[in-house]
Amino acid sequence: MTTIGQLVLSGLLIGGIYALMSIGLTLIFGVLRIVNFAHGEFLMIAMYGAWAMTRYLGLNPYYAIVAIVPAMFLFGVVVHRLIVMPALDKPHLVVVFATMGLSILMQNVALMALSADLQDVPPILGGRSFTFGPFYAKPELLIGFAVALACTLGLRFMLQATYLGKAIRATVQDGEAAQLMGVPVPRIFLITFAAGSALVGLSACVMMPLFSVFPTVGLNFVLIAFVIVVLGGMGSIEGALLGGICIGIVQSLSSYYIAPAFGQMFFFMLFLLVMIFRPAGLLGRKGEATLGIND
Amino acid sequence: MEAAAPRAKRRGGRWRLLPERGTLSLFELVLLAVCVALVAVPLPQYLQDVVIQTFLWAGLALAWNIAGGFAGLISFGHAAFFGVGAYTSSILAANYGLTPWIGLWIGGLLAAAFGAVLTLVCARLRGPFFILSTLAAAEVVRIAALNWASLTGGAEGLSILPIASIANMVFESKATYAALMLGYFVLIYAITKTVEGSRYGYYLFAARDDEEAASAAGVNPLLARTGAMCLSAFLSGIGGSLFAQYFLFLDPTHVISPELSFQFALLPALGGLGTAIGPVLGSFVITPLSEMLRSYFGGAGAGLHLAIYGGVLVVVMLYFPSGIAGALQRLAERRRKGPP
Amino acid sequence: MPVALRSATFAVAAVALLGTAATGRAQEPIRIGVLQPMTGPATKNGTENYTAMQIARDMINERGGVNGRKVDFLLADIPTPTAAISETERLTTKDGVKITLGSGVSLLAVPVSQAAERHGVFHWETAGAADIITKRGFKYTFQVGPAAYRYGQAAVDLTLGELAKRLGKSPADLRIALLWENRAFGKSVGDSIRAYAKEKSVNLVYDEGYDQFLTDMTPIVQRLKDVKPDVLIAISFPNDAILFQRKAKELDFNVGALVGVSAGYSNPDLRDSIGDMVNGIFVSDFAARVNPKALTPDTLKIADEFFKRYDDKMKRPPAGHASSAFSATWALFTEVFPKAKSYEPAELREIALKLDLPEGSLANGSGIKFTNNDWPTDPKDAGQNLRASIGVWQWQKTGNNQVFPAKLATTEPVMVPLPNWSQR
Repeated sequence: MTTIGQLVLSGLLIGGIYALMSIGLTLIFGVLRIVNFAHGEFLMIAMYGAWAMTRYLGLNPYYAIVAIVPAMFLFGVVVHRLIVMPALDKPHLVVVFATMGLSILMQNVALMALSADLQDVPPILGGRSFTFGPFYAKPELLIGFAVALACTLGLRFMLQATYLGKAIRATVQDGEAAQLMGVPVPRIFLITFAAGSALVGLSACVMMPLFSVFPTVGLNFVLIAFVIVVLGGMGSIEGALLGGICIGIVQSLSSYYIAPAFGQMFFFMLFLLVMIFRPAGLLGRKGEATLGIND
Repeated sequence: MEAAAPRAKRRGGRWRLLPERGTLSLFELVLLAVCVALVAVPLPQYLQDVVIQTFLWAGLALAWNIAGGFAGLISFGHAAFFGVGAYTSSILAANYGLTPWIGLWIGGLLAAAFGAVLTLVCARLRGPFFILSTLAAAEVVRIAALNWASLTGGAEGLSILPIASIANMVFESKATYAALMLGYFVLIYAITKTVEGSRYGYYLFAARDDEEAASAAGVNPLLARTGAMCLSAFLSGIGGSLFAQYFLFLDPTHVISPELSFQFALLPALGGLGTAIGPVLGSFVITPLSEMLRSYFGGAGAGLHLAIYGGVLVVVMLYFPSGIAGALQRLAERRRKGPP
Repeated sequence: MPVALRSATFAVAAVALLGTAATGRAQEPIRIGVLQPMTGPATKNGTENYTAMQIARDMINERGGVNGRKVDFLLADIPTPTAAISETERLTTKDGVKITLGSGVSLLAVPVSQAAERHGVFHWETAGAADIITKRGFKYTFQVGPAAYRYGQAAVDLTLGELAKRLGKSPADLRIALLWENRAFGKSVGDSIRAYAKEKSVNLVYDEGYDQFLTDMTPIVQRLKDVKPDVLIAISFPNDAILFQRKAKELDFNVGALVGVSAGYSNPDLRDSIGDMVNGIFVSDFAARVNPKALTPDTLKIADEFFKRYDDKMKRPPAGHASSAFSATWALFTEVFPKAKSYEPAELREIALKLDLPEGSLANGSGIKFTNNDWPTDPKDAGQNLRASIGVWQWQKTGNNQVFPAKLATTEPVMVPLPNWSQR
């Protein structure tokens, strides 16, 4: 019993963190209907930023949030202006491959500027875990999960209660109609993309205590992020959280009960199963599955 | 997705200048002549290597395009078909002594079967849902291949014995390989042109562009799509076998990788999705570029060549959104219409 | 022109011509192709290997080169196996190199040596260890570092010997767990440990491979907790080694001893990343720094110079594979090249096969004696260095100290059994 409990707990916590990492991507997809292939590299530079602030300013990565989130927001603005905006009215694959080019560029600029070495930050509380009965959980994981929850709730609140949120939802539902109703759609696109980038920055600060950073670290996470975004239902924040948690738990259980070598295979298979039976994703709206990407 | 160029007014004489649906143009003939020259003329070996890879990738890009460009089935999982073909013919050769000339057909058929299953399973999916599903399916195949070490050699890879003979499909001379790859690429180009100009091609385009209207007109979109994916997978599998016979080394992490799948889609996108000449142009630009960048700048260390490549990719995608073929067509239209 | 001036001109010209003729040949550098992954996931290995090789080159050139000729490197980046093949072929066919050094990691060593052999190029492999490298009947590939199975055997031998003794159990009762990363090196070592354990009738209570991109170690650590091994032998690359250690501490997984095999656990940065958690971990690897008594005085001087230069450049000591890259490259320059005249692969092969250097001859404690289809254990094996030094060292508070085998050891193993996390 302890074993299953630990596996589920750990899977839940790490899944929440995967979800946090993916929320930015899902927001961008929901609004702009594009997939940012440089997502992993956004995570990478934000993690380097968090590490650098910890290493050279003596802060810990959580304090670094204050600087990294706005910095990533600005970075998102720049990327949007330079790459995304020019690509929006072009065939869909343009933005896919333009962001893929950006991903390769960023990985290798990081490699040239820094090195391939792995960088880490010291653990908080000396790496000791909290115990809940027979179960263990590291504070960094708990904090990460809490941030993921807070973020989901915060975003939901923002989307429901603020004007910006309503504007975003209107754009998601029907961009033309929203524009006719006075929503500045291009500005919404910019804000959403930059916000998505900022959210990646937030998740990077929370992930830095858990993972090492190196130029190609994005590769380890980007596929998971894509799967979560689609699994949860494109554009659904809660879907991303749910999707992340599912992935985390499935990977945990399948790695234990079958073999760790197959851990990733099972969450891909889960993904395919969901696609067969709920083609719009776990919390996607019915009919979204047949939405062409050129709409 | 751009359809092929509108019918040009005949400008005297039978030949079109630039590629068009349904007929051969001067451009294509000249390109073919250049390719044959590249095979026949004795080039230094490292250039022959670039030529071989360019032709192989052109064929693979064309194969992808049948599903991705013509049928609208954007797949980021084609490396699975490629890998199935590569491993099948290599395993049959290594374990049963079966000549790859036969093995490659088996590999292709197996890949086609995978393709059919994939399309049917993902029949209801569109857009990013479909794309991610292909990626997920390819990852499943990769992980399976990686762990089925007794069959595939697993992480240590599968080496093919470099004993040159026609039966082994291993050649001493790179010129022979170049001819082989050229044959592959020309064959797929011919198939592509035929499909493009045929009724089946029209069904595919119809199903791609407006599924409901196509259905109403009596086209069965699912059948059309499945056929396209099978053909695409079949040809990709054969390309995989040819790859194996040239490089003589396979490992799942690099042969069934997402990076490779992206490459299969990138070349047609860059060259011009949905046209026949597009994937060819994509390969002819990107393959030599990335090989040369690595050769000339790789020694400088630290990723300069890839940073340049990434930058070039961004710029080219933004400035040539319909691909190089699209840019050529615009050029042709502007010339035809005269100065504004 | 006046006769005297003409004669003088001729004389000067003649002397100049003779002069250039005499020194012309001697000044032509020896060109070596170096294949390393400088981009992609294996970059760390590639850059460290290359740095070590460059130090060897600089040191030999400062000493006047080999037989008056300087050594020149032509570096090629090999991020993937297909790049490895293309670049090796380019260096050999376009740049005409006949000697290559490589390759950073086991996976790339296979295609590099394959391409080299196809072109009859002499390939001196310093890092790649997968057993298959020397089992393909190649004539010109020489693997100077130990083969994968040696790493595994050293780990098992230490476990069954010193560790069993200190844990107070007989080898037959010892519960051993094997964890291997599913990459060429990890799989190769894992396979060899499994086979060796069977040979020694030893109990593997856990034997799992895992994907190199795994981001959560919970299921692995949890299973190990449930299985309760005495000793864990783990082959992991740097990223997973860090993840594993952290998770082990988080879930309170305690084991009598952890024996890492090369790669991640031997990475000097590990202490930077996980701090004191690293103390007590054993590492089966080529020695980075061996017991000075095991080396001849001249070799010791060379080794010290290498360590100093590497530290100056990289601001940290070299990992085992970097040390091996230096030692192997230095051996090429000082044991093989001086005897060569034409530097053709066939000649170099002859010289290499005749080498009979005892252990302690190379800076990392290795000797050299290559198999040539004459090894009783496997007559198909060719190019394997049977005297490649492999041992086990341990992360200790005082530094990384060799603990096995006895003749290379500088200290005794400590912290066996490892104290529980709560006590560290």
